[in-house]
Amino acid sequence: MNKELEHSFVEQLEKHQNIVHKVCRLYTNNQDAHNDLFQEITIQLWRAFPKFRGDAKFSTWMYRVGLNTAITLYRKSKRRVNTQDFDAIQFKIKADEYDDTEEEQLKLLYKAVHQLNDIEKALVFLYLEDKNYKEISETMGISEVNARVKMNRVKKKLRTILNP
Amino acid sequence: MDELELLKKDWKKEDASRYPKLTYNEIYKMILKKSSSIVKWIFIISILEFVLWSAISFGLKDAEYNKRFDSYHAENIITPFIVLGYIVLAYFFYKFFMNYKNISATDNAKVLMENILKTRRTVKQYVGFNLIYLALSSFIILGIQFNRDEEMLGYIENASANGELLKFYAVTILVTVAAVAILIALILGFYYLIYGILLKRLNSNYKELKKLEL
Repeated sequence: MNKELEHSFVEQLEKHQNIVHKVCRLYTNNQDAHNDLFQEITIQLWRAFPKFRGDAKFSTWMYRVGLNTAITLYRKSKRRVNTQDFDAIQFKIKADEYDDTEEEQLKLLYKAVHQLNDIEKALVFLYLEDKNYKEISETMGISEVNARVKMNRVKKKLRTILNP
Repeated sequence: MDELELLKKDWKKEDASRYPKLTYNEIYKMILKKSSSIVKWIFIISILEFVLWSAISFGLKDAEYNKRFDSYHAENIITPFIVLGYIVLAYFFYKFFMNYKNISATDNAKVLMENILKTRRTVKQYVGFNLIYLALSSFIILGIQFNRDEEMLGYIENASANGELLKFYAVTILVTVAAVAILIALILGFYYLIYGILLKRLNSNYKELKKLEL
């Protein structure tokens, strides 16, 4: 693999690494697992990079490979999310940023999102990243209508988890 | 406020303390490491299966009991069977390789899952073919033995003299059927376990996506 390609890839990934961290944040629950998944996504991105034509934005392309790795390709299931082990410290929610109720509510929200299945998490992730339904449907391979319907169901599900 | 909107507000805060900040060198080191993705495992296991089943199907040719088999002079039946085995292996291997090449992390989630499952299905079909091949060849060999094996002919003569010819045939065939059935059940059970473990998450995620289409 030529050096120029390597350099261009690493540079862009360094710049956009938060996207990968965010995927890891949703799909793992401790630092080891986070690092593992980050590593695997990086490898998958790098492998796919020669085919990246630049006709899509690097970041958009990262969403797809990142989610595909988290949902489908990544294999270390024993380290995957177990809500019991949920570790809020990882997310470093700063107490002084929020009033108590909002902070508490956010903690519960993150916990609830972790209880969703892999596909639901992917939808939530794309939604939180401000992707429109067209992009969500293209990333997941479902129709736009179904993406909307599913998103509404996920919202309902979250509400049920939060207010049993 | 909508729960997700509250979450989104928080999600967008990208302050430095929230995520690790990897350096250029740290990322560079990562791209030199080896993947441990499910696709790699599927590839390794599939290749092992091809090797194993080919070894069983064709390696038996050189086995000790085959010398006895030669005495049946049944080449006209056995040779086409062996050639068929090779053709089928070549066909499945080609199909497997083409499917494998199609797996790409840049496809959408559903297509990626479909391509992985398709690759697996090819190997599954190859195993299915081998099980049928195994069962069929057992019966063909039994049939040949009934006609040409000297030891078997001796038993048949004996049974015939005792007036138990029908019983002898029935028992021999039943024992063969039972042995083949048990062997197949064991192999299937083993496969069920392996793939149950390997593809559990993939299958359930794929089902979840398919469910959305109903």
